[in-house]
Amino acid sequence: MKYHPVTLVTGLVVAAIFAAMLVCFQVRQTEVAVVTTFGRFSRTIDKPGFNLRLPWPIQSVHRFDNRVRNFERKYEQVTTRDARLILIDVFLGWKIKDARVFLERFGGDQMMAEERLEGILRDAKNGVVGQHPLSDFISPNPSELRFDAIEKEMLASVKPKALENYGVEVVLLGIKQIGLPQSITEKVFERMKAERDQLVKQFQGEGAGEAIRIRSEADLRRDQILAEAEAKATVIRGNAEQQAARALRTFEQNPELAVFLLKLDALEQALKERSTLVVDTRTPPFDLLRTPPTPATSK
Amino acid sequence: MEQNIHRKGLVNWLLLLAVSVAAVLVARYAHSAAGLVTSAFLGLGFLVAAVSYFQMRLEHRERMEQLEFDELRRTASSGTLFAEPAADTFPARRAREQFERFIVPAFSVLLFGLQTAGAYFLWRLVGEDETPSVQQGTVAMALNALFALVLFQFGKYSAVLARLERQRLLRPQAGYLLLGALFCMITAAAEVAGWAGYPHLDRIVARVLLGVLALVAVENILALVFEIYRPRLKGVAEHPLYESRLIGLLGQPGGLITTAAQALDYQFGFKVSETWFYRFLERALAWLVLGQLIVLVLSTCFIVIQPGEQALLERFGQPVASRKILNPGLHLKWPWPIDKAFRYETDRIQSFTIGIEHDEHTEHQRVLIWTKTHAKEEFDMLVASREQQTTNLVSGEQTVPVNLLAVNVPVQYQIRDLEAFAYHHANAHELIQRLAYGEVTHYLVSVDIDDIMAAGRLKAADDLRRRIQARADAYGLGVRILFVGLHGIHPPVKVAPDFEKVIGAIQDKEATNLYARAYMATNLPVARGMAARTVNEAESFRLRTVSAAIASAERFTNQLDAHAASPEVYRLRAYLDTLGRALGQTRAYVIASTNQHGVVTLNLEDKLRKDITDITLPPAKN
Repeated sequence: MKYHPVTLVTGLVVAAIFAAMLVCFQVRQTEVAVVTTFGRFSRTIDKPGFNLRLPWPIQSVHRFDNRVRNFERKYEQVTTRDARLILIDVFLGWKIKDARVFLERFGGDQMMAEERLEGILRDAKNGVVGQHPLSDFISPNPSELRFDAIEKEMLASVKPKALENYGVEVVLLGIKQIGLPQSITEKVFERMKAERDQLVKQFQGEGAGEAIRIRSEADLRRDQILAEAEAKATVIRGNAEQQAARALRTFEQNPELAVFLLKLDALEQALKERSTLVVDTRTPPFDLLRTPPTPATSK
Repeated sequence: MEQNIHRKGLVNWLLLLAVSVAAVLVARYAHSAAGLVTSAFLGLGFLVAAVSYFQMRLEHRERMEQLEFDELRRTASSGTLFAEPAADTFPARRAREQFERFIVPAFSVLLFGLQTAGAYFLWRLVGEDETPSVQQGTVAMALNALFALVLFQFGKYSAVLARLERQRLLRPQAGYLLLGALFCMITAAAEVAGWAGYPHLDRIVARVLLGVLALVAVENILALVFEIYRPRLKGVAEHPLYESRLIGLLGQPGGLITTAAQALDYQFGFKVSETWFYRFLERALAWLVLGQLIVLVLSTCFIVIQPGEQALLERFGQPVASRKILNPGLHLKWPWPIDKAFRYETDRIQSFTIGIEHDEHTEHQRVLIWTKTHAKEEFDMLVASREQQTTNLVSGEQTVPVNLLAVNVPVQYQIRDLEAFAYHHANAHELIQRLAYGEVTHYLVSVDIDDIMAAGRLKAADDLRRRIQARADAYGLGVRILFVGLHGIHPPVKVAPDFEKVIGAIQDKEATNLYARAYMATNLPVARGMAARTVNEAESFRLRTVSAAIASAERFTNQLDAHAASPEVYRLRAYLDTLGRALGQTRAYVIASTNQHGVVTLNLEDKLRKDITDITLPPAKN
């Protein structure tokens, strides 16, 4: 079997690549690496770049993400200082500060690290929430709200423990969600319903009151208008009397005649319709019936 | 040479064992379906090699035995003693014959079972495979190429040896080695395809390879059946039952080409296989392969960034100082693995929604109402309440001064600073969601429910956007919050009817109000009309009174004149005139008696005039 030179070259190149793969490794910007020799710590590489190593199984390289990782686990029930129950969910961001400690504590398992951090976080959550009344969490007055302070206190409680025990720096912490346990939620719903009911009643009352006000105002204005008109009419009537009275002065020239004529008018008016008049013969002109005129010649 | 043959068999056997174990590990590591099939195939090859190795050992021992026997016979003088060799003179031959008669067919059956089972289970497994990451793919590619190279070298050597030395037992091993090399090469190619952006090719390749495996199984069972009816001739070297002709053919297409070339030689009358072109092709093949590899490496020197994308350039993992970020366009870089680029879709607007879990079904609903859920799950958020908190005196338990509100807040954002985005946080997208959720919570616990549900909504959305942006900046996320919408704020479904009742009550109030106004609207004009009538009546009274007064005054002046002429006569005339006029229509009784004591009875029931009731109707005629 003859080896072709090109085949040989190709083989050598491939062999070289594999040899290189055994002794070289890169550390990315986002990574931190720990090199161990026969399982024992040799060095930490926290600067990105090209590095050399002894081949496996002499040296091994453990790489970790050195960026901030955030996680949240439990939406958990805790008690406030004024003995109220709330549910609180806190997220936390951490990064590897000391890769060697991190490797030794967790064998590089991030999930395990997060579980441990979760433990510390729960502790801090219970401790800090227990020092604050509910009004620090919920208040319509933003100046009374102590959200930021609570987050800072939790962070301050978690940070040193994580760094000391796990080689991990807790960079950020925030409250994601707060809520109430189911039983209290029901009560809140009840209260909200009552509150809405009260509003309904209030609006109904306001509506009725307003209506009464408007109606009475309408009545008032109507009466006012009518009264004014009445007054005006009275004045007019008085005025009429006054003007008519001026005409009466004419009758002063012969009051006796005037009275007589008025009497006649009244008489005529009275006898106009369906009246029955009973008179005796002394009433002129019926006196003629008593003394019928006799012709002068017959006298 | 004879000595060496079974040693070669042993080497091949061990090689197949090592490579198949390594191939399994690589395939599991890189989640490569094709790799898994290849390793299964190599494992079967290992079994075949084991059996053929045993057979070689047996044949070797048989030959040794024959040599010893011949030697013995030559040294013995007359040969009467051993003229008739006993049946147990050749234990090695007997062992070989037993082996071929029982073990080989049994192994063939076992092989068939394994091939079928392997093909079936792997076919099912292929469907569940996940796509590998780039780094895993690269490693798998390189290792498979290495396996292919090693297997090919040994396989080629064994094949040539088998042909030259007429070693039939080396043939199946060579076949498996060569086809294994081909499989490894195909697997590596599938990884390259996955790396180049066709990850689904891996599964297709795996299925094709499984098809080959199934074909081999079919061939195996056919060979078994034919073996039963095969005429047994003495002196003809037997084909090993477990050798697959298909594998031999697929693994050594060269054999096919040689046969074809020989056929061509025969047809044309001259040696085509010795023409310059044929020779050139044979020689240049290695160059061509090498050239392709170089092109592959060179192609990693160029990178095209699509519009809307940006990429981070790293040299040995370190950001390249002057060109940390590559913008859309064509860029030159050092070949992989020196320079690596990581693409990000920086222009894409990413979005998520706080407070609900999307539901496919309700997504298509056109009408959204409070009393029906809009999403799979709605989370009730706490909202402050201005109401004074009240204490229940009996139980001492305070009611919580909070309200609950279902929200649906879409947030849209974009990567603004790629460096910050990619290098500061491992799971930046999740962080944005969490902090945005936190800000919404923070905001809601500080506002009154009625404020936020009504007028404050637009301002609230803007406030929230600013707060989320500030927090994201504080964490160095490098994103721009484009939009925060508060359009989905509504009371939880349980209390929504009560909220609707309040709105109903407001409408009712409005209606009552309007009815009252209508009452006012009708009554006032009527009153004005009545007032006008009153005044007008008074006015007309005045006119009548005054004009009547004037008129009677006028008449009286005239009457005075008449009276002055003859007072006595005027009076009488006036009196009689009036009486006469008045009595014209009046019933008058004149009592002509002067007797003061008599009683006059008048019947006043007499009608003054006849009216319609006095008409007597004629009786109806029957």
